[in-house]
Amino acid sequence: MRRSLSYFWRIQLAVLLGAAVATAVLTGALLVGDSVRGSLRDLTLDRLGRIDYALVSERFFREELSTDLSRKLEGDAQFPRETVPAILLNGAAVNPKSKARASRVQIQGIDERFTGLWEGASSQFTPFLEKQPGQLFPSVHINQSLQNELDIEVGEQLLLSFERHSDIHREFLLGHRDSSDVLQTLRLTVTKILPDRGIGSFGLRPNQSRPLNAYVPLSVLQKVLGNGRVNAIFASATSPNLSDLTTTDALPVLQSKLRQALKLEDLGLMLRHVSSDSIRGVGYLSLESTQFLLKPDIIEAARAVAIERRTLFLPVLTYLANTIAANERTIPYSTITGLDTQRAFSLELIDGSAAPPLAAGEILLNEWAATDLGAEVGDEINVSYYIVGPREKLLTRGARFRLKGVVAIEGLAADQGLTPKFPGIHEADDMSEWNAPFPIDLNRIRPKDEIYWDLFRATPKAFVSDRTAQQLWRSRFGDLTAIQIRAVMGADLQTTQTNFQRRLLEKIRPEQVGLVFQPVKADGLAAATGSTDFSSLFIGFSLFLIVSAALLVGLLFRLGVEQRSSEVGVLLATGYSISTVRRRFMKEGGLIAGIGGLFGLGGGVVYAWLLMAGLRTWWLAAVGTPFLSLYINPLSLVLGYLIAFVVVLFSIGWTVRQLGKVPIPALIAGESGAGGLSNRSSGGSTRRRILAFASLGVALALTILAFVSETTASAGLFFGSGVLLLIAGLAFFSIWLRSGGRAASQPRVAVTAQMGIKNSGRHPGRSMLCAALVGCACFVIVAVGANRHIERKHEADPQKESGTGGFALVAESDIPLHHDLNSREGQFELGFSESDSDTTADTQIFPFRLLPGEDASCLNLYRPQKPRILGASQDFIERGGFQFQGTTATKENPWELLEDELEPGVIPVIGDYNSAQWILHLGLGDELSIQGELGEELKLRLVGVLQRSIFQSELLISEANFKKYFPSQSGYAYFLIQRPSTPNPAAFSESVEHIGHTLERTLDDYGLDVRSTTEKLASYRAVENTYLSTFQTLGGLGLLLGTLGLGIVLLRNVIERSGELATLRAFGFRRATLSLMLLAENGFLLLIGILIGTVSALIAVIPHLTTPGAQVPWFSLVMTLVSVFLVGIAASGIAVYFSLRRPLLPALKHEA
Amino acid sequence: MNSLKVSDIYKNFGDEAQPIEVLRGVSFEMAQGESLAITGPSGSGKSTLLHLIGALERPSSGQIEINGEDPFGLPEPQLARFRNQGVGFVFQDHHLLPQYSVTENVLIPTMAFKNRNGEAEKRARELLERVGLSHRLSHRPAELSGGERQRVAVARALINQPSLILCDEPTGNLDRSTADGISSLLFELHQAEQNILIVVTHSLELASRFERRFELEAGRCAEV
Repeated sequence: MRRSLSYFWRIQLAVLLGAAVATAVLTGALLVGDSVRGSLRDLTLDRLGRIDYALVSERFFREELSTDLSRKLEGDAQFPRETVPAILLNGAAVNPKSKARASRVQIQGIDERFTGLWEGASSQFTPFLEKQPGQLFPSVHINQSLQNELDIEVGEQLLLSFERHSDIHREFLLGHRDSSDVLQTLRLTVTKILPDRGIGSFGLRPNQSRPLNAYVPLSVLQKVLGNGRVNAIFASATSPNLSDLTTTDALPVLQSKLRQALKLEDLGLMLRHVSSDSIRGVGYLSLESTQFLLKPDIIEAARAVAIERRTLFLPVLTYLANTIAANERTIPYSTITGLDTQRAFSLELIDGSAAPPLAAGEILLNEWAATDLGAEVGDEINVSYYIVGPREKLLTRGARFRLKGVVAIEGLAADQGLTPKFPGIHEADDMSEWNAPFPIDLNRIRPKDEIYWDLFRATPKAFVSDRTAQQLWRSRFGDLTAIQIRAVMGADLQTTQTNFQRRLLEKIRPEQVGLVFQPVKADGLAAATGSTDFSSLFIGFSLFLIVSAALLVGLLFRLGVEQRSSEVGVLLATGYSISTVRRRFMKEGGLIAGIGGLFGLGGGVVYAWLLMAGLRTWWLAAVGTPFLSLYINPLSLVLGYLIAFVVVLFSIGWTVRQLGKVPIPALIAGESGAGGLSNRSSGGSTRRRILAFASLGVALALTILAFVSETTASAGLFFGSGVLLLIAGLAFFSIWLRSGGRAASQPRVAVTAQMGIKNSGRHPGRSMLCAALVGCACFVIVAVGANRHIERKHEADPQKESGTGGFALVAESDIPLHHDLNSREGQFELGFSESDSDTTADTQIFPFRLLPGEDASCLNLYRPQKPRILGASQDFIERGGFQFQGTTATKENPWELLEDELEPGVIPVIGDYNSAQWILHLGLGDELSIQGELGEELKLRLVGVLQRSIFQSELLISEANFKKYFPSQSGYAYFLIQRPSTPNPAAFSESVEHIGHTLERTLDDYGLDVRSTTEKLASYRAVENTYLSTFQTLGGLGLLLGTLGLGIVLLRNVIERSGELATLRAFGFRRATLSLMLLAENGFLLLIGILIGTVSALIAVIPHLTTPGAQVPWFSLVMTLVSVFLVGIAASGIAVYFSLRRPLLPALKHEA
Repeated sequence: MNSLKVSDIYKNFGDEAQPIEVLRGVSFEMAQGESLAITGPSGSGKSTLLHLIGALERPSSGQIEINGEDPFGLPEPQLARFRNQGVGFVFQDHHLLPQYSVTENVLIPTMAFKNRNGEAEKRARELLERVGLSHRLSHRPAELSGGERQRVAVARALINQPSLILCDEPTGNLDRSTADGISSLLFELHQAEQNILIVVTHSLELASRFERRFELEAGRCAEV
């Protein structure tokens, strides 16, 4: 074998190089996957530092909770011990000097403990965010990305705007929604620019793009927010072993310790001690919420504790009535309390008797109110009050009651504590000074009302049954304003309070109030495995290269075998079995492939490096981050080597198998293959004719059907037609080749070219292989390349049933809006001027609720664990629009599927097909489990998928479900903006841009970012287009490598035909003429392949070519095809040059 | 008048330090209408001499004149044209092109310099008729017998009416009866075309039918 290898070293070297190329490409593709995963993993570790778990809550809690938790964790060595408190906010930043603004800024309120979570980060914060002498405003450090956005330097001022914290839900009647209550702006001095790595790249959400970070002293943010609290705790594991973090074993322990460390105030609860003196009755404990209303979970826990402790408890719901009216008299702005009068203590009528039980429609007035209204028992009492309607509009509702009795303002009826304290109201000296979030008509307030206020403050003027109060005023924000608890028999109130508080804390799980630690590092590392398997992707992209390399190896090996056909013949003639000979060649091939593969491993690293360089630069749009490095995983090297070895060996085996098909005498005579034209079977010819005509017929039928078809099936019909045309074209060419190419010998073509073209019929199978290879490759490259789509900036006539849904603009705000952007009143509240409102007069804005989460589109390389969720309003659902790829059930308006009632805990969702299929890996009817905000498991069931829509980054649910399952979220942060279409595209575009600018300018404190919907679609398309470019480039490279195979086929042809060529030389044919003839032969095959493949592909993509915005990259496509042709001709030229350099005369004689 | 003059031809192979002398001073002349058989043992240089005469290879020294012209003095394009117009070859292996029909194979020499025309096709048909293959005009080589293929090769050699016909073992691969037929055909056509015919053969029987016969041995030539 050694002699064979050394004697035929040239051809063996070529085979070895082919094997090296195959291994390099395959291994390289696997390494790209490793590199992307490795880079994402590194980015995760870099941005999280030593943070393993994070608790980020909508509610604020004591800063000391972190320390308390740390103490509780001290005993557990294997679990996190170090905890760090912080405030995390989202907001916008503005450079007041340049007016440059940035939205989606992460604002971190931190102290030194936070910097300790990164190696060496403390030195970057020395001195720690302190004011320098002469510095007017507090310090802020920003990262490089934010600096780039704002074009700001150290020493310059920066404005940060973010949402002011409110314990009370903004959508509740008493929630503050005015801009001045919602927005907080902070002026700071930039004292350092942090690099975009380590602490500078901090972010909890897995995304490869660098966040915009601002770091503010914790104390400054606490002061501004006015609560001295925090909303985040980070926990760091003591174990350095990262593999431990992939498990979530520590999580239950962490949650359990958190439960032990919690105090009622961390849960937003107060257990108020109301002494007997203050109410001139029996003292009690009042469990209240800083959110004004107690949620059902808390109520249940309190009820359970009360039952367990055998204490008496009284649920209370107090609400504000705009009017209590009777006998044509009215009392403005009064509170009414709902309670069970039977269980109420010391609630007595004016005659001293106990208050009677109240049925539905019955009411008790206090003495003052009854007197004021002149009401007597049995009179009709009308009550009007506000409720919060859709889009946070206040609606007035009324209820009619019958007066059941009049209570004395004593005991419970005189308890001001029945109405929870509400900032802006309870501290007001006069009613006219109320700073209420709802509209108040001060003209209605009478002097006597002020006197009542002076005497009794917000003491309820009426009582209804607890059931009636629940029916009228309970909401998603809570059911009760308080629970009154009496002292346990035999114990004083203080002891009862202590015990009740302890037991209540034991009963409430932190998850129930949204205090949940997330294993951010484990989740981040899991997400770093990526939503897209780049190994498979690049193997797909490189498939042509791999197949070409394998074919090349086969062809080269065959060339070597053919050179040694006499040897094979002699071996067989002397008694070797064909299997022995095959084994002999397989051993040689295996050895060469093995050695070539080893060289290929080095090439694989180089190939992967080149691809990574391409992803960081040329194909950046596909990954969106330049922070990708090459990672070499030994397992991938081994895997790539083995797979390539098997592929190459298979290719060699297929070649060696052909040996047995040639008669031994022919082999001895130096022939290596069956002589072309004598072996034609008429049966094969008939089959080819049937295939050709049938394919052509069906292709034409499909084309006609596709033209008349208006449905989405036309794209499939055209594609089918293209594929069939490709088959038909190749089948006709095969028939022509096997007919000897008679039609080609027409005088129009030069004689040399004629001979070349005719020669292509000498080995029809071989020629067919070349043409089919080139044809199929061109078909794929052209079909894929032509699928590029470039969006126009603005569609003048946006189609409702399209990817933009007929909307012109899409906007997103950092801080949710609580006013209706479609109404003048709402716009006024948000700071619109008259002219701004005029600008948006004929614009319709559809607001969506937004649950922050991970980008579910192809723009995010990480695998999303909890995607962003949009709550679609009833208006939007009724409007419909967008194009559906599929739904689980047929409905005229598929958006109505969002309103279907499914099993408990299962929410119907609609998403984009691309995101669902490729990123979330969900099919129709599949479910995605996410954690609800109270720690419960929610299942999102995919009931519809949209076709190439602007909703690729998120999933949509109905607003009703959004409010039900994510009750703590308030406001609208995502908007779709619709403009009436106009025949003038330029005017339309101008008006759309004007509206966009107006909205951005007016709502810049909210961090509103407006983009055209087509631009948003284009950003998704850019990824797709980049993948197409990558495929086109690597496919083109593969095709070029494949054309080298053509050169080898030609070389084989020349070697086989050396006798003929010598004869032609003898008859006066010059080398140049013979070269031209051979080049014409290969050029013809190339051209036919390119022509058949390209024409079929263009027919296959007709629907795409005819869609608006389709922009076929003709130049690059034509250049690819021309390159294929030129490289093919060049490879052929080299083959011809070397083969015709060989002396031809020995082929003419049998003696020297 | 056709003529051939071979003067003191030497042909060496191998390197200069250890050259292998295949031909050592071969000289002879032939006139129009003459025929010559060259015989000799294997390796004596018969085919090499034939290739030198046909201007396929250059002699190491000596001169060859065909019709008074030294082909080796011509540049490559003219040499190729000279060979195309002046010399017709018939090889032991017919070397027909399998993808072409019988007529097209005969016409191949006319394609080298685009001198294919209606006249050439007419002559091809005539030649094929004369070699007895008028019924096989559109057949392909794979559909012919060995003798028929060689007859096509003979017709191909004559298509351009060369003054010199060179045959290298034209009957070497044929059975006796077929070989006789081919040799008769060669003589018949030679008589008709009045060209110079040189045949290299091992067959003394065939050689005896020629007007002249040279015996090559150890690179030297002797007329028998």
